[in-house]
Parts: sequence; C-alpha cells; structure tokens
Amino acid sequence: MSKNREPATVAAVDAAALEQEALAAVAAASTPAELTALRTRYLGRKSELKQALRNVRDRETGMTLNAVRERLEDAFARREADLDRSELDRALSSDGFDVTLPGEELPVGQLHPTTQVRRIVEDTFLGLGYEIRDDREVETVEYNFDKLAFPPTHSSRSPRDTFFLADDVVLRTETSPSQIHHLEAREPPVYMVSIGRVYRRDAITPTRFPIFHQFEGLAVDRGITLADLKGTLLHVMRALFGDDRRVRFRTHYFPFTEPSIEPDVSCGVCGGTGCRTCKFTGWIELGGAGMVDPRVFENVGVDPEEWSGFAFGCGPERAAQLRFGISEIRPLWSTDLRVLRQF
Amino acid sequence: MKVPVSWLREYVAVEMPLTELVERLSVASAEVEGIERRGVPDVDGNLGFFRVGRVLEAGKHPNADRLQLCQVDVGEGEPRQIVCGAWNFGPGATVAVALPGAVLANGVKLEAAELRGQLSNGMILAEDEVELGTDHTGIMVLPDEWEPGTPLTDALPLAEDILLVESTGNRPDLMAIYGIAREVAALYDLELSPPPGRDPGVAGDEPVDVRVEDFEGCPRYIGRLFRDVRVGPSPAWLRTRLSDAGMRPISNVVDVTNYVMLALGNPLHAFDLATLKEGRIVVRRAHKGEQLRTLDGELRELEPTDLMIADAARSVALAGIMGGEETEITESTTDVLLEAANFEPYTIFRTSERLRLRTEGSNRWEKGVDPHLAPQAAALATQLIVELAGARWTGKVDVHGDLPARPVVRFRPERADDLVGLETPAEEQHARLRRLGFEVDDGSVSVPTWRARDVTREVDVVEEVARFRLGDVPFTFPLRRAMFGRLTRDQRLRRRVEDILTGLGFSEVYTPSLVEEDPDPGALRLREPITVELAVLRTALLPSLVEAARRNLELGNERIELFEVARVYEPSGGPLPVERLHLAAIMEHGYARAKGVADALAGALKAELRFTAAPHPLLHPARAARTGAGIVGELHPTRLDGEWGVLELDLGLLFEGVREPVVYEDVIGYPVVRQELAFVVDVDVPAGELFAAALAAAAPELREVRFLSDYREPPIPAGKKSIAFSVAFQSPERTLTDEDAAALRVRVIEALERDFGAELRG
Repeated sequence: MSKNREPATVAAVDAAALEQEALAAVAAASTPAELTALRTRYLGRKSELKQALRNVRDRETGMTLNAVRERLEDAFARREADLDRSELDRALSSDGFDVTLPGEELPVGQLHPTTQVRRIVEDTFLGLGYEIRDDREVETVEYNFDKLAFPPTHSSRSPRDTFFLADDVVLRTETSPSQIHHLEAREPPVYMVSIGRVYRRDAITPTRFPIFHQFEGLAVDRGITLADLKGTLLHVMRALFGDDRRVRFRTHYFPFTEPSIEPDVSCGVCGGTGCRTCKFTGWIELGGAGMVDPRVFENVGVDPEEWSGFAFGCGPERAAQLRFGISEIRPLWSTDLRVLRQF
Repeated sequence: MKVPVSWLREYVAVEMPLTELVERLSVASAEVEGIERRGVPDVDGNLGFFRVGRVLEAGKHPNADRLQLCQVDVGEGEPRQIVCGAWNFGPGATVAVALPGAVLANGVKLEAAELRGQLSNGMILAEDEVELGTDHTGIMVLPDEWEPGTPLTDALPLAEDILLVESTGNRPDLMAIYGIAREVAALYDLELSPPPGRDPGVAGDEPVDVRVEDFEGCPRYIGRLFRDVRVGPSPAWLRTRLSDAGMRPISNVVDVTNYVMLALGNPLHAFDLATLKEGRIVVRRAHKGEQLRTLDGELRELEPTDLMIADAARSVALAGIMGGEETEITESTTDVLLEAANFEPYTIFRTSERLRLRTEGSNRWEKGVDPHLAPQAAALATQLIVELAGARWTGKVDVHGDLPARPVVRFRPERADDLVGLETPAEEQHARLRRLGFEVDDGSVSVPTWRARDVTREVDVVEEVARFRLGDVPFTFPLRRAMFGRLTRDQRLRRRVEDILTGLGFSEVYTPSLVEEDPDPGALRLREPITVELAVLRTALLPSLVEAARRNLELGNERIELFEVARVYEPSGGPLPVERLHLAAIMEHGYARAKGVADALAGALKAELRFTAAPHPLLHPARAARTGAGIVGELHPTRLDGEWGVLELDLGLLFEGVREPVVYEDVIGYPVVRQELAFVVDVDVPAGELFAAALAAAAPELREVRFLSDYREPPIPAGKKSIAFSVAFQSPERTLTDEDAAALRVRVIEALERDFGAELRG
C-alpha cells in the first residue's frame, strides 16, 4: 500500500492531517519493511514533519508538532511490536499442532456411586441438623429383633431369611438397631442417620444381592408428626433425584413403627404417567418408614406420651440405580474399571 | 393373594375403575402389585358375542365322520347351524356358544366358515377356549336352567380381572377375599354383604369325638361329620374360582376347604373318617420320636414342640400346616370329618420353620387367624359339602377354651391429629372406625376380633384412621430446637481419605464383606451361607482387592488403581467380633507407589506413619512394611502377575495419629539454609531411621529432610551404602548464621555416627 506523494512544503504543513495520514499508514503496514519505509517517510530527516520542525518559529507550533511526532513514534513502536508478535506467532504455528489430540493422561479416580449417594444423603441430613452414625453389622438378636419389637413369628427371625452366626447373633437385617443404640446412648431430642451394610438371605439374582446398604433416619422430639416424616422424605428424595419429584405414602407394616408406611417417589423416567421402570404405576418404592412404635420407646426407656418420633430406611443402591439408570444390581458390585470409571 | 374381581363383587359392589381401586387399596390397605387378566378379551363389546345356546338337533356331519352338525338356538328366533368336533352332548344340551366376530382367549377372531361343505355359523365352546380350564376333550355342558340367548357372562366367568394383593404380616384378615371386600367397603363407604355361609340343618346327632389336650396351641376345634359323601370333581364355577385364585382344583371336598380358606381366611382340613382310628381326633403335641408321612409324600420326624392332630392311635396331620397321607380324602371316601380349627401362631411358625415347610395354611396361621372365624368357615364349608357332594351332615362339635374378647382400647381423636399432623374431625374418625368393624364408645373403641392381634393400643387405632388419609397429610419439617448436625472427626477424615485417593487416581470399589476363605482361621462363619463364595466374614480387605485387580487385568483394563473403605470383622473370643473400618488399596508400580500413596495420605492428613520392615504372607518378603495403622508393601509375586503395590490401613488407628488442629509455623520470616549430606552406613540400616534420627537431633530448626540417593557401587565398600539427603535449617525467630548452621550440621553428624556408626562422606 505504498502511496507515493510529493513531500509537502513546510509552509503547507497541516499537522492534524499529517498525523491522520501517518497513523492510517502505520495501521495498514503489514511487514517490518513497510513500517521502516513509512518511518523514513514520516519521521525521517527529510520528512515533512522534521522539516516543519526545523522551520518552527513559534513555541506553540513547536509544541504541536512535537506532540504529533511523539504520538507517531508511539504508534510506530506499537505497530512494530505487533508485527514482531505476528511474525513470532507465525513461526510458532508452523508445526501443524493439533489441539484436539488427547492431553496428558492425569489420573482422576472416582467415588463409587453408592458412596456418592451416601454423601448426598449425609449432606442433606447434616443440613437438616442430623448426626451421622455408623454401627456394627454383626448384631445380637436382642438388638436386631427383640428391642425393635419384632414378634416371635416374624419371618425375618427365620434362618431362611437371615444369616445367623450363632443362636443369638445375626448379620443385621436392617440399620434399625442403630435406633436402639442411639436412644440408649442419648436422651431425646435426637436426630440421626445411620448408614451401612445390611444382610438378607436372598438368592442372588440380577436385581438382588444378599449384601446391600441402608440409610436409617430417626427423629425423636416433642410433637414430631407423620407430616414431618412426609416433609423430610420429600426433601431427601428431591435432594437425591431432583426438585420435580413427588412423594406419596402407602400404608405398610413394620414391627418397630406405628403407623407404618412405605414412601414412593414419582418415577423419573415417565414423570409419573407409567412406564416399565415403575411397572406402570408412576411410582417407585423406596423403603420403609413410620412413627416410632411406643414399644421401641419403652424398650429404651423413653416416655411415648412425652416424645414422639419417626424413623425410615432406604437403600442407597436403589437410589444409585435410579439416579444413574442402572437396571441391575450387578454393576454396583462390579470391580471392572470400565464400569467404575463412568461415575 | 390373587383376588378375582368377580369373587370380590359377591361381597361388595365394585363399580369404580379398577385402576382407581388398585391405587386406593395400595395406599390405604395392602399393596396391589398388578392386575392379571384371564379369559377372553373384555373390550369392544367382545363379551356380547358369547351366548348360552340350546342344541335343537345334532347329527353326524354328512361329509365328515368325526364332526357333528348341530342346530343351536341362541335366542335369535332362527337356530344357527354349527359344526362341532365334540361328541359329549346331544339334542337338548345347554351349551356355550361364540358367535362369528367373537375373539377367543387365544386372541383368534371367530368367523363364519364352511367346514367340509357345511356352514358353521358359530362355535360351541370347550373350557380351554375361554381359559376356564385346560380341558379340550369335550365342550362345556351348562345347567339347563339357562335360557338360550342369555349372555354367556351370566353363566360363566368368561373374563376375569385378578388383583395381585400383597398384604402385610399384621393383616391376616386381608388373606381372604371377604376381608378385602370389607376393606373396599370401608374405603368407598359401600355396603358389605354378610359373610358367606349359612349352616344347613344338621341331619343327625352323631357324636364327634374331638379331644383338645393343648388349648394353648389349639384354642378352638370345630369338628363336623358328613356321611354319604360323593367325592368327585367340583363344578366349573368352583374350579374356575380356585384356579383364578392360584390354586389347583383337586376334588369337591378338598376344593371346598380351599375355597373357604380363600373366601374367609380360615384354613380347613378334611379327613377320611374311615381312616381315623376310633373316629377320634386328639389335638396334642408330638411324642418324642414320632413320625408322620405328610401329603407331599415326605416322612417327617416330629419334635415334642410340634402340634399334631392325632386319632386314637397316632398322629394324622401336622396341625395347621399339612395333612397326613394316610387320612386324606380319596375318590373312595364316603365319610368325612371336617376340621375348622384355630391354631396359635408361634406353634405353627416354629414347626413350619423347623421343617422348612410353608403352606397356604401355615402362612395364615402364623399371622394369627381370628378364633371367632371358625364357625363361619365351618358353616360355609358345610353348606358347600352338602350342596356339591350330596353329603348328609350328621354331627358337630365345637371344642374351645376361653376365647379372647374384643380388646377395648383408649382412643383420643385429638391424639391421632397430634401424631399425624393433620386434623380430622372426631366424627369422621369414628365413622371410619365403625366402617372397619370397630365399636366406638366415649374415649375408647372396641376392636373387631379379626384385628384383635394387631390393634391393641391407641397408636394402632391412630394408624387405622391415618391410613385412609395418607394423601392429605401435609409436608412439614420437625420444629427442631435442640439439635445440630455435623460430621464426627472420623467421618470427616474418612471423606478426606476417599477424596485423596480419588484425587490420586484411584477408583473406589465395593466388594462383599462375606468371602469364601479368610486368612484368619478364626474368622466368623455363617451357619447357613447361600453360596460358598459368601460364607466367612472377612478380617481383611486386601484379598478381595487382589481379586478385583486380577479381574481388571484379565479384562485388559489399564492403569489399575483401586481402593475400598469397609469394615472388617476380627474374632474377639466373644459372640460379637470387633469391627474395624479399614482402607485397602492396590495399584500398579510396586512398593514405591504404595509407599508414595501412604506417604501422601499421611502428609495430607497430618498423620505420622512410621515404617518398619515386617514380613506378611500376602507380601513380597523384602518389600513389606508395617506401620502403626497397618501394612504397606508389594504384593507377593505368586499372587498376581506384575509388581503390585498394596496397602491396608486401619482408619481408626490412622486417625488417632492425625494432628489437629495444625499449628502454623513461620516459614517466610527468615531464610532457609540448605545443605546436602551423605553418610556411609551398613546396608541394613533403614534410611527412614537415619532421617528420623537427624530430625530429632537438630530439632526444631531442622525443618525438612529430603532423600536424594542410595548408592552402593564402588568406591562404597561391599556391605555398605551411601545415603544422601538434603536438609533445610530454618528458625522462626531469627536468621540462622553460618555458625548456627554448622552447629546444627554437627548435631546431625554426631547423632548418626553415634546411633548408626554412620560416616560422613567428604
């Protein structure tokens, strides 16, 4: 873009026009050589500006022209730096580098989905003011059944349903013995969640494994209601599955709660209209719950007229299955990294 | 249980959509797991194509020897010509007819068709074509009372909806169709028919010899005698009822006992009277060493805790569980002793448990059947045996002790409101209870006998009120004023451990706490494992992780780094093991990696781990270390191909060593003086001990020791090694002078020389 112009006469110098023209030319320069030529033309000894400066007679014109010179020098310096940088970048870009190639392989592991659910549950209940417990898994019949008011004919007491280690020692069949341990150790009010492994003598099938986890919640205070249980479970289910979930209660029976209910959460696959996941009911079963049975209170020396409470138990595996879309139990006991690295 | 809806309708008017009924029953009474459909499709008016027909003429098909050509009146004025392959009927027979357009149970749509040149304008039905049974040897012949043209659904249950009801253990009353009807009536405020069964007149006064020796096990025994019983197949309606409810029809007398059990919930038993010694029934416990061959052909060894039905000589039935083979009803039976008894739940449960024998009967008894139900069950059975087997009812007896009265329970409606968190007017609560059979008095209710075991306290009555309004209960939170939540120290540190390991690239696994074999021979064993792989409570996690790594190796997975946090169960000598929370990890790259992970964990947790060489059966003999919290090492090469680093730490012990809180040391106020030192020591001196001794000697100014090299080549003499490390001296109080640093250095040199004979290299 080199334009040839006759050098202007000193008298004819219009500083502003000259500056404009020079700045435009600098901005348009695309190589260091062009820039050097322009520098000679606009700032060289024979340039219009220099000649004008030499011929300056009054202080004001001198200041104006010097200011123009400084700004032009600045502009040349900046443009030069830009062109240097462009040249360097061109050189740096010449190796055909592919940014889409995989990066350096850094090891990042992952928590098991059951642990992920465990933490959501823990955090949710910590937020509600609950303590977290982790109790023993090998239990006495007294704590696993008797103190929880299991009738002598309850089928869980059968060695067909429960793993016995001795006549009076079992692998706990639910996390509910924690209720007893906690209430024996603490005066109400208590708010606690117990999480851990439980055991049932179920045949191994694609959807069942004899070892699984439970989280057990217990709230004992003055004036605790079934409505409090409903609100609490709704909150937990939403923490686990999303804010659009609904919760319903169905009547049920457990030895250690009265009234007893089973909570259902609305199906996340169909949104409640019915599909294969929810067996066309729109609801998914998530555990058991109810108001603490007065017999349990009596077994631990708590006055059921003064205190009331609720308890519930849910399965983190089931929650993990729903959360991650796992239809069988097997992936949750898999040690295959192809499975684990998905979570 | 399976509840055929048409059976339910005999007791209550079920007119609401079934899906709605299912929903309400599931919420308020017992879970309905689904609806099964049996028979021909009940859609698009299909049932209208099925009629009662009367055969006017029947004769051989002119072109086929095996076919009959019939003229059948189906109420249309003109008879229809129908070709039929069965010969078990003739003119005058009342039959079931499907007209062209009908869709049969197998989904085939019937069309008018020519068969061997003759028009067949419909079909005379056999029971399998409408799924009333499996018989296809002949067509169904109906009673003549049905007029031709009557919709066939009036005469036969052509289609049935069957509710799959899963009731809970506290509701034996819901293991009966009538009980479910009572619940439906209460739910929808409908009228409930009186319970089925009315005693016909007793045709005689024969004594029935029933002796109950154990009223505790058998509070009640009603015995009834029937003579001239004609044992044979049950009528179609009864067979359909049973098969719809999931039971196999056997013979009229046995079917009646099962029908009554399903209808009312009281299991019954019928004995062939002729096989009972002296025609006597004795209810007693088994004698030691006694045996009985039960109906399933098994010879049962009895225990004195077993309640038996015996005759004058021997046991003839396992009370409430299963009859004996020798006294069962057969085709040649003519005299029947009917048992409508009541048995105590725990007795039945214990025997059924011991013998691993669960039956429809034991399943009901062990939940507690109402002793006041027996007379009703006896009446219904009597009525049906007389009706269906042409029997004469000739004798009866009802032996019982004191029967429990209806429990009276205090009930405050406001207490229900308080516990539920929802206000229901007292009147409404009372009305609901009355519909369920409760009697309401001021401040108390009397419980119906069929709920007497379940409803004994006020809170049980509250449930009865609450379960009808579960959908209305609001969502609230406890008004918590005196509790707060936080993780314990160990819970917080456990999370830290999990996060550090995942941050280091490890994937968390869960492996079963039950294993096939454990290294500790004293590990606790299950009495009855379901599989040998899950039989012993593990005392260590590592063997499971080695298996997990092996599996990944076989699968060709890369970068295998796994960890697990779980409990182990150490035998304690007492009944309960000591349960400890362990961390185990396995990784590629051998000892150095495992040690690095352990060091990283300790560093991040601010815990101190001191390593000493210590052999371990799982580990490489020279690359095995013990720390205060567990083991770190390289897996023994025989265990798995490659060099595998492993560790297993007791988290409780690890956390005991965690220093909390961390106290800040000034590291920016004064400069650091760094020096490098190298010492020649015997090869068996652990470098870790040199470092620890150096740190102790120059404390507190010696801030850090960093290992540089372990050199064993010439000029280092054989049997010796040179350990080089750098030290960083720093004081939080002042700038260390050259003299200070030199003095500290001397302290290190002297200590190592003194303790290890270490020689400073020039």
